[in-house]
Amino acid sequence: MSSDRTAVRDRLNRIFQEVFEDDSIEIRDGTTADDIDLWDSVMHITLVLAVEREFAIRLSAAEVGTLDNVGQMIDLIAARAGK
Amino acid sequence: MTSSQPQFAAIKQHIGARDYAKALAELFSSLSPADDFVVQARAARLLGSIPAGELKLKPIKIAVAASSTMDQFVELFRLWLAREGFAAEIWSAPFNTVVPTVLDAEGTLYRFKPDIVWLFGTYRDVVLEVPLGDDRAVPKAVEAAVQQRAFLWRTLQERLSCAVIENNADIPLHDDFGNFAGQAAWSLRNGLRRYNLELAAAAPAGVTIFDLDQLSAAFGKANWVDERYWFHSKNAFGFQALGAVAFQGARLVTALKTGTKKCVILDLDNTIWGGVIGDDGMNGIKLGNGAEGEAFVAIQRWAKSLKERGIILAVCSKNDPEIAKEPFLKHPDMVLRLDDIAVFRANWDNKADNIAYIVSALNIGMDSVVFVDDNPVERDLVRKYLPAVAVPELPADPAGFVAAINAQLYFETVGFSSEDRERARFYRDNAARAEKMASFADQSEYLRWLEMTAELGDLDEFNLPRIAQLVNKSNQFNLTTIRYTEAELQGLARRADTRIRHYRLLDRYGDNGLISVVILSIVPGGALGIDLWVMSCRVLARTMEEFIFNDILAIARRNGCGSITGRYIPTAKNGLVCGLYERLGFRQTHAERGTTDWTFTINEATVPAVTYVDAAAPAAKKEQ
Repeated sequence: MSSDRTAVRDRLNRIFQEVFEDDSIEIRDGTTADDIDLWDSVMHITLVLAVEREFAIRLSAAEVGTLDNVGQMIDLIAARAGK
Repeated sequence: MTSSQPQFAAIKQHIGARDYAKALAELFSSLSPADDFVVQARAARLLGSIPAGELKLKPIKIAVAASSTMDQFVELFRLWLAREGFAAEIWSAPFNTVVPTVLDAEGTLYRFKPDIVWLFGTYRDVVLEVPLGDDRAVPKAVEAAVQQRAFLWRTLQERLSCAVIENNADIPLHDDFGNFAGQAAWSLRNGLRRYNLELAAAAPAGVTIFDLDQLSAAFGKANWVDERYWFHSKNAFGFQALGAVAFQGARLVTALKTGTKKCVILDLDNTIWGGVIGDDGMNGIKLGNGAEGEAFVAIQRWAKSLKERGIILAVCSKNDPEIAKEPFLKHPDMVLRLDDIAVFRANWDNKADNIAYIVSALNIGMDSVVFVDDNPVERDLVRKYLPAVAVPELPADPAGFVAAINAQLYFETVGFSSEDRERARFYRDNAARAEKMASFADQSEYLRWLEMTAELGDLDEFNLPRIAQLVNKSNQFNLTTIRYTEAELQGLARRADTRIRHYRLLDRYGDNGLISVVILSIVPGGALGIDLWVMSCRVLARTMEEFIFNDILAIARRNGCGSITGRYIPTAKNGLVCGLYERLGFRQTHAERGTTDWTFTINEATVPAVTYVDAAAPAAKKEQ
């Protein structure tokens, strides 16, 4: 894993902990909504908004709907935030 | 935003230690409806983690029916309702089922029995059938759109005793015709503007218009809608706007349920003029001239206009009273004059004590007061010792004072009656009466001097709004604290066994307004029950209670009733009247958990109570 991705994942992990109010969350690339009880369609939007805020990026409507797992999120953020 | 984020770690610690009151205080100490949605959503979740019932909030049931996604909104709405003191149970109708939800008499909405139904529409719900260029089609199209909503209101009001909140249309930023849309009567923009006016005109008692359009403009229409989330999940406006909508909605619920703030207590030095009157003197204070002087004039204008809509003004200042009053009497640029101020407290005592004095002199609740002071030390002291008092944070620059106070929406209301306009005078006259009373040797001499007369009668259309207001806003002189909407009161008044009586008191100083309401249930030949009795505290100790009792007694006698029964149900605020029935000669028949039942037996020897209030001469009222 590149250092970029590691840094992104650390920040993203904190976002997950705050959004789901659970300090024990440890995200992995393969983490999906199935792994986190509270991650439903409503919380998904809050999560995306928190990501947009943390990384100062803006996702498209299509991207909002396709971010199913943590690996995809990290890839997208790393690609976007660098620009 | 200048506001700092809530200290989430500290809040979590308080919750962990089960110190929920502290957690709540910390949560709201720095949370603003303008904060990022993510921050407010987090605050809402933390609030949700506090066990229900631990916060001692007033329960309220609210149904939200929308044609857009409301999940995130509901969370923030509950959060801001908690700051208003409500533990809200919110039921959301399934997405985009507004009409079927309202029509289905057997559906969840009606089983839920909400106190408030919020029909949460947006401009997308307003369908105006106007061909391009056809001015003449506009009125009919608008009328049809308004009637669709009015039909929903009628259905709800027939089936539920609830308040209804209806959004007006948030006129969208974009119109195909651009600027010309503001000129052509047939444009969507002008059609929606007309719709908003007609909707407001059509709203009957019990329906409150939520001015979504104004809110969208205040927020900024360019950012109001985030099309991504409309396309993705049918969120009708952007998440960053949710807090403002939820906050405004929560304030409106407070206006509906407990009323607006009644009194503004103003500091003087550096709050309504620049500088310190004791040091700088009349000619040295900044008022009127220069930018700063104009800012202080603007603050005084703001206070004066509140007074004109019926908000009481009082002064609480660390000053020598004579020196503090001098500008009010002599400064040419003062907008406020001494007779605008109901209670003037200038001394060197601490401000919490002075505010307590003012509140008790005016006989109003501590929670109906806003305290305005430029000094952060004084603000903190008042917050600490009088947590019920609203104390807005003020910026350093006086030019920002009014905006900072207005942002708190303290003076939201759902109506405006002639009583409201007169209220400030009522309180000022009361202060004058109190002064006069001191010059009399005994109370009865003073009461006779007042030359009090009362007008009385049954419920009528003209008095209905004020009667409903008194029934719903009285907390102190209120024996049973049962609330009725205007529609319910009308329904009760139609019943043969029920009478709703109202009383108006006049005296040397003028009209005190409609100050008391009783609801009586009558069993002819049996007992007359006092189901509800409320009275404005501004006419306490005037033997008005005795006058009202005599009216009830007369009604009981005319109906051949052998007794009058009454009940006292204690609340946090109505300790004032726990001994009322005893004082009027009732006998206690039952007591359970503070609630007491009372009976007054009528026989031939029964004489009316002693009162200094006479019935007004033209008392040609219908009698049962």
